[in-house]
Amino acid sequence: MKKMVLAGVTLGLAMAFAAGAQAADKKTLAFVVNGASDFWKNAEAGIKKAQGELPDYNLVLKYPEQATTAAQQRLMDDLVASGVASIMVSAVDPKTETEALNNIATQIPLFTTDSDAPNTKRIAYIGSSNTAAGKQAGELALKALPDGGKCMGFVGLPSADNARERIEGVRETIKGSKVELVDIRADDVDQARAKRNVEDTITAHPEVTCFIGFYSYNTPRIYEAVKEAGQLGKIKIVGFDEDPVTLGGVKEGSIIGTVVQQPYEWGYQGMKLMAKYVGGDKSVIPADPIIIIPTKIIDSTNVDSFWAELKQRTGAK
Amino acid sequence: MLKKDLGLFILIVVVAAVVAFLNPRFLSPINLSNTANQVGLFGIVSIGEGFVIITGGIDLSVGSQFALLGVLFIDLLVIYQVHWAIALLMMVAGGMMLGTIHGFLVTRMRMQPFVVTLCGLLIYRGVARYITGDGNAGFAFGETYPWLDLLTKGKSFGVPHTFIAFAMVAILMGIVLHRTVFGRYLFAVGKNEEAARYSGINTRRVISAAYIICGALTGLASVFMTMYVNGVTPSVHGNFYELYAIAAAVLGGCSLRGGEGSVLGIVLGSILLQLLQNLVNLLGIPSSLNFAVMGGVILIGVLADQQLVRYRRWATARSAAARLEEAAPSAAVKQSA
Amino acid sequence: MPGAVPFLELLSISKTYPGVVALRDVSLSAATGEVIGLIGENGAGKSTLMRVLGGVVAPSKGIIRIDGAESASLTVNEATAAGIAFVHQELNLFDNLDVAANVFIGREPLWGGPLKFVDRKAMYARVQPLLDRLNVDFRPDTSVSELSIAQQQLLEIAKALSFDARLVIMDEPTSSLTLTETSRLLEVVASLKASGVSVIFISHRLNEIEQCADRVVVLRDGCTVGALDRQQINHDAMIRLMIGRDLKSLYVPPAAPPGSSMLDIEAMRTSTYPEQPVSLSVRKGEILGLAGLIGSGRTELARAVFGIDHPSAGAIRLEGQPIVVGSPRDAIDRGIYLIPEDRKRSGLLLDVSITENISLPDLASYARATLVRASTEIANAEQQRRRLRIKVPDVGDPVSTLSGGNQQKVVLAKWLSMRPRVIIFDEPTRGVDVGSKSEIYEIMRELADAGVAILMISSDMEEVIGVSDRIAVMHEGRISGFLDRDDFSERNVLKLAVGSTIS
Repeated sequence: MKKMVLAGVTLGLAMAFAAGAQAADKKTLAFVVNGASDFWKNAEAGIKKAQGELPDYNLVLKYPEQATTAAQQRLMDDLVASGVASIMVSAVDPKTETEALNNIATQIPLFTTDSDAPNTKRIAYIGSSNTAAGKQAGELALKALPDGGKCMGFVGLPSADNARERIEGVRETIKGSKVELVDIRADDVDQARAKRNVEDTITAHPEVTCFIGFYSYNTPRIYEAVKEAGQLGKIKIVGFDEDPVTLGGVKEGSIIGTVVQQPYEWGYQGMKLMAKYVGGDKSVIPADPIIIIPTKIIDSTNVDSFWAELKQRTGAK
Repeated sequence: MLKKDLGLFILIVVVAAVVAFLNPRFLSPINLSNTANQVGLFGIVSIGEGFVIITGGIDLSVGSQFALLGVLFIDLLVIYQVHWAIALLMMVAGGMMLGTIHGFLVTRMRMQPFVVTLCGLLIYRGVARYITGDGNAGFAFGETYPWLDLLTKGKSFGVPHTFIAFAMVAILMGIVLHRTVFGRYLFAVGKNEEAARYSGINTRRVISAAYIICGALTGLASVFMTMYVNGVTPSVHGNFYELYAIAAAVLGGCSLRGGEGSVLGIVLGSILLQLLQNLVNLLGIPSSLNFAVMGGVILIGVLADQQLVRYRRWATARSAAARLEEAAPSAAVKQSA
Repeated sequence: MPGAVPFLELLSISKTYPGVVALRDVSLSAATGEVIGLIGENGAGKSTLMRVLGGVVAPSKGIIRIDGAESASLTVNEATAAGIAFVHQELNLFDNLDVAANVFIGREPLWGGPLKFVDRKAMYARVQPLLDRLNVDFRPDTSVSELSIAQQQLLEIAKALSFDARLVIMDEPTSSLTLTETSRLLEVVASLKASGVSVIFISHRLNEIEQCADRVVVLRDGCTVGALDRQQINHDAMIRLMIGRDLKSLYVPPAAPPGSSMLDIEAMRTSTYPEQPVSLSVRKGEILGLAGLIGSGRTELARAVFGIDHPSAGAIRLEGQPIVVGSPRDAIDRGIYLIPEDRKRSGLLLDVSITENISLPDLASYARATLVRASTEIANAEQQRRRLRIKVPDVGDPVSTLSGGNQQKVVLAKWLSMRPRVIIFDEPTRGVDVGSKSEIYEIMRELADAGVAILMISSDMEEVIGVSDRIAVMHEGRISGFLDRDDFSERNVLKLAVGSTIS
């Protein structure tokens, strides 16, 4: 009896939510991200812009309740079941999700973004090339250490594709130079540990003079730890992504530069692409189905304009 | 100092000596200061967790409380422009409020602590994520609070203020737990709640108080933690931290059955736990092994402690037997069968 | 019968543990159909001896002879094969299973080959005759959780019989039984004897031994100190052997006639018997015995007076003043103390020191500015140790190291350190050895003479009649009668306890 009451209450709540989510009978295009972060606020802005140009579609951005493949798969299954016309997804772990992604792709057109899943029946990938981004970071490192030196990398999940490719890109660029990437410290996306890793590296490896933050939160944690250790300027920092602290550091001159992706463009261009495809225009898909939206290097020269644009798009403080 | 605590202390000294031998930078002031800072960050909440565990309960929600209170703290400062000192007090009060709810559900509604705080773990994180709209809560670049920064990130004589706060909390809580009437009641309730009730102890109030203390310390620690990472990503901030807190308490001699533990033990447990993290980085052990090292040491520590207790019992019994053999047979010791 | 050739003999058994000589040169034999009463104070070595017999403990020295075959020790399987079965003090039953499943636990009749289904039908069919033999009022498919302690005891015996037991060892089988249940058990012992099964009956209750034993063996400090034949068995002889001295006649009259009323319970209704209002008064300096069957509502009444449970109706007066008791704290603050029935569960923190146990209910008075002062605590514990003669080298030792009697003294010491006005003793001497028993009675009398009102709940007839100044008897939640000293007799107490009136 008790169980039934509980089940009833849960069901009632679920139905109430579902009712609220009902939209008019326009075709829905969904953008499914891999976890909650400010990063996706950018994509949301791009989607908002696309929505203005696509009045016949209902564009939504969905967060899985956890950054796990299971939660993301369930979210996509539910979306398909609720009649979504097409999905663009940033898969949490494309390698292991092949089957689940194919399952979606056989029912509705599936697009990938952020990290590609080339072995699936996805229609196309639209996003950055992490290897190319890594190469740009490598260039920043070379610029920072003209006489050569040692670099340490900091990352959340070193085995994740985006991390692997970025690291690979850095390594490719610095190969043959006097700049060396000695090790990668991982923190399992625990930011306190991320900062601690930096502190310990400053202690354990005084010979390392360049820190590279591969995940968006790594760079601000590096900046803070280096600053607190009084080593700003002495230790060169190269970053990825556009955390406010990162941009502030770039502006201040204590971060050499940061490589940013353009999630805004992913959202904007991605949605337009999907709408065209769903509308019947298959010609928008190139032959190799990979649409790269290049990453940009932000350094002291262009940080102000980039930041202004970012603020305007996300409405951030 | 209990023998148990002494054993843990020796373990810490041995581990530290080995690390220092392998990498002399371990003893550099900056590294000691960094590690002390970590000990402070995680230790404060471990003491709160220890109080709850001593009553025979558990609090699984502290990690999520870190996320929720952290988000609220930043919002209060950044959006509502509340004075930092008031915001800090509000966080402590907020933690106490959550603790009061836990205590109420455990003692009055007779729910199991595991269930209550497991629900807390889910609810608080969910609410935190909702508040930020699944984004980050953080300070703008260059936005500083000189006094708050000094308080939470500063150092006096090279000692990080987090560690000083931790030491003060430890001394205060050590007195509360080991010297006061309330502390004695906590142990009594944890050992045998019914007997405590029959001795006139208001067991409900004592248990609730343990959750409230845990909440207060969580609130305090959440401010330090938020300032340390300079922002909160509520989907991941504080993930697993309840397990670190429980691990430190258990390593420090708290029994999950209740009724056992000491503040000194928890302090030593916290130190050892952070020492291990430091060791992984300093010795260049692959970061992926971090959890494995931590789990392995806790396992060995608790196992060794229990074996030591058994050995001591055996040794006492043996020496008593030896004395008996020497004595005349008529001097048999009587013992209840 | 006595004189017959014994089928089982233990010869000169010794057993030493580190620190303890548990048995020294103890011999014991059992012949077919013989009931042997085994008595001795707690710690005398009875349990160790029985563990030797059950194959749980290997003796350090001595010979075990079964049907002429000699061995130095037994294994559990050998003991079972020899027909030795136990009915333990602490029942070893699975209360989520039914009666038959408990009898056959671990050796269930099976069907279905490798699938190993339990053959319930066969199990029930085999258990029924055993239950018939014991003439019990439950069935093979009754769940054990529905059985009373007494019925569970009988189930244990049925289980013993299912092993074709020749010798059933009963360790304190009546300690949790009521008077009628006890006599029922003694009948079963007699019928076992009649069917040729031997019984070793261990009990502190000497009148039970008197009733059922053919022979009594007395242990003291791990040695056999004497044996009594059927015609020699009487209380005094047994007690003399057990404690090595004469026990004073149990009853000590009060120094002065009881004074005015201390505690009045008026029309109190407990949740167990909401239909039955209970009223009774205990006077200053009086020991009021509260007798009755287990489940008659005595403990519930005590719990309500002490503030553990909340009565649905009724009032309490202390020295004529109405008081409200909402929690044990309220009761304690007014000087109403309870010594609970189950001291290990409700009375003590077992692995905590004697000192801390004693000061627990009054801890605030040992504290200055809420900081507990260990020195005053220890001083008080020392004082109580001397006063109550608690046998322990150090009051810092944990209570768990003490014998049952000394543990009970620690519970007592908790309250004697304060200012008692009313003390409710719930089964004060359960599991307490004879020596400590009489000491506890002495303390009760001392307290009463100092003006304390004492309410003593007891299922031990000897105790109720020997200690009380007056007896109240409960039956199914109501007071079925009061007895004055002149009317004390087992027969009268029993009659009121089962609900009939005294002619």
